Amino acid sequence: MKKFIILILVIISIGTSCERDDICSENTSTTPHLIIRFYNVDDQEQTKQVRLLTVNGVDSDGNVLDNIVSSVSTDSIVLPLRFQNEGVITTSRFALKRDSDFDTDTNDTTFSNTDEIVVNYTPQFIYVSRACGYKSVFNDTQNTLIVDSDNWIFSYEIVNTTIDNENAAHIILYH
Amino acid sequence: MKMQRTSYYIISIIIMMLYNVASFSQDNAVVTDTVVFKQSYGLRLGGDLSKLVRSFLDDDYKGFEINGDYRLSKKVYLAGELGIEEKTTDSDYLNTTAKGSYFKAGLDYNSYINWLDMENMIYGGIRVGLSSFSQTLNSFTVYNTDQYWQQQFTDNPNQEFKGLSAIWSEILVGIKVEVLNNLYVGLNFQLKAMITQDEPTNFANLYVPGFNKIYDSGRLGAGYGYSISYLIPIYKKNKIEVLPK
Repeated sequence: MKKFIILILVIISIGTSCERDDICSENTSTTPHLIIRFYNVDDQEQTKQVRLLTVNGVDSDGNVLDNIVSSVSTDSIVLPLRFQNEGVITTSRFALKRDSDFDTDTNDTTFSNTDEIVVNYTPQFIYVSRACGYKSVFNDTQNTLIVDSDNWIFSYEIVNTTIDNENAAHIILYH
Repeated sequence: MKMQRTSYYIISIIIMMLYNVASFSQDNAVVTDTVVFKQSYGLRLGGDLSKLVRSFLDDDYKGFEINGDYRLSKKVYLAGELGIEEKTTDSDYLNTTAKGSYFKAGLDYNSYINWLDMENMIYGGIRVGLSSFSQTLNSFTVYNTDQYWQQQFTDNPNQEFKGLSAIWSEILVGIKVEVLNNLYVGLNFQLKAMITQDEPTNFANLYVPGFNKIYDSGRLGAGYGYSISYLIPIYKKNKIEVLPK
C-alpha cells in the first residue's frame, strides 16, 4: 500500500515536471544573422577595423531604414536578413557608411563614404523543437557590391553560401 | 559522559517496553474460523469518463476510450484499452493537430487484500501501446529573434503527415472500487516511455493519441484515466477467508 502511494507520487511528479519544454532556450540555434567580417585589402590574412561604421537596411524602394549598427569602429558586423516565403530568392540590401562623424563635424573637407551591398539567398525552414517551432536558414547566398564613384569596399568573398549558424563569418569584405 | 548515561537509560527503557508488548501478545490465544466467499470472474468493460468530459469542455480535444479487463487468477488481470483521440496543440510558434486511434494491452496485478467478499483493486499494471495517427501542421511562425525587417513570418501550410505510428511501453497504478453491484469506478496514472515512433519529415510529433504530449526533453510521457466499468460475471470461484472468532 505504502509502495503504491510512493509510486503514484513519483508518476505524478514526473508527469508535471516536464513543462519547462515550452520556452525556447536562448542557447538553441534559431534563425541566424548574417555575419560579415572586414579584412585588409593589402594584407588579406589580416582583419581590419572600419572606423565609425554605421549600417542601415535599405528597403526595396530604396528608402534607408533604422540603424543596425551606429558609429562603431569594428571589424565584424551581425546583420538581420529579410525573409518571407520559403524557397523564394530573397534580397536584403545594406548601406555601410564609413567615418560616420565626417558628415556632421565642422570640417567641410571630409565626407562620410557610404557603400551598398546586396545579399541574395533562398530561405529554407527547418524544424527545431516544440518550443522554438521552425527556424529559417539561408541557402545559395550571393553578394553584390553596388559600384559607385568612390567605393571604400574594394572586393568581397563569400566564405559560406549556406547561412545556418552564427559561429563564423559568412561574407568577408576587403577594404 | 553524561550524554552516554542518558542514552543508556533511554535505550534500556525502550527495551523494557518491547518485552512488555511481547508478553502481552502471548496472552492473546487466537481462535479462528474459515468462511468461503464466492468471487466473480469475468469480463469487465467500461469507458473513460475523463476523456468524454474533456471532449465537451476543451475545444482542442476530442477523445474516447473503451477499456476492459479479464480476470485470469486471484490477482492477475488481462487488461487493454482501445481509443480514438484528436488533439490540437497550439503554442506561440506552432499549431498542429494529431488525430488517430490507439490500442494498449497488458496485465494488471491487484495488490489489495480485500476484506470478506469485497472485490476492489489497488493495482499496478504494465502495457504496450500502439498508435496509428496523422499529424497536421496547421500553421507555424518562424522563430526569429530579430524583427528589424518585418514581424515574425507566419505560414499556414495545412500540411498533413499521414500513416504515422508509434509504439511505447507503460506502467500504471490505479484503484478500482465497486460502487454498485458489478459496477466499478476507477482512477489510474500512467507513466509512458516511447519505444519507437515515425517522425514526419522536417517536423515532429507533439502529441500521439494514447501516449499524449511528447516532450522535447526525452522519451517519457504521462497520462491519467478515470473509468467507469461493468463486470460481466462469467463464473465464480471460491475464496477461503480465515476469520478470527
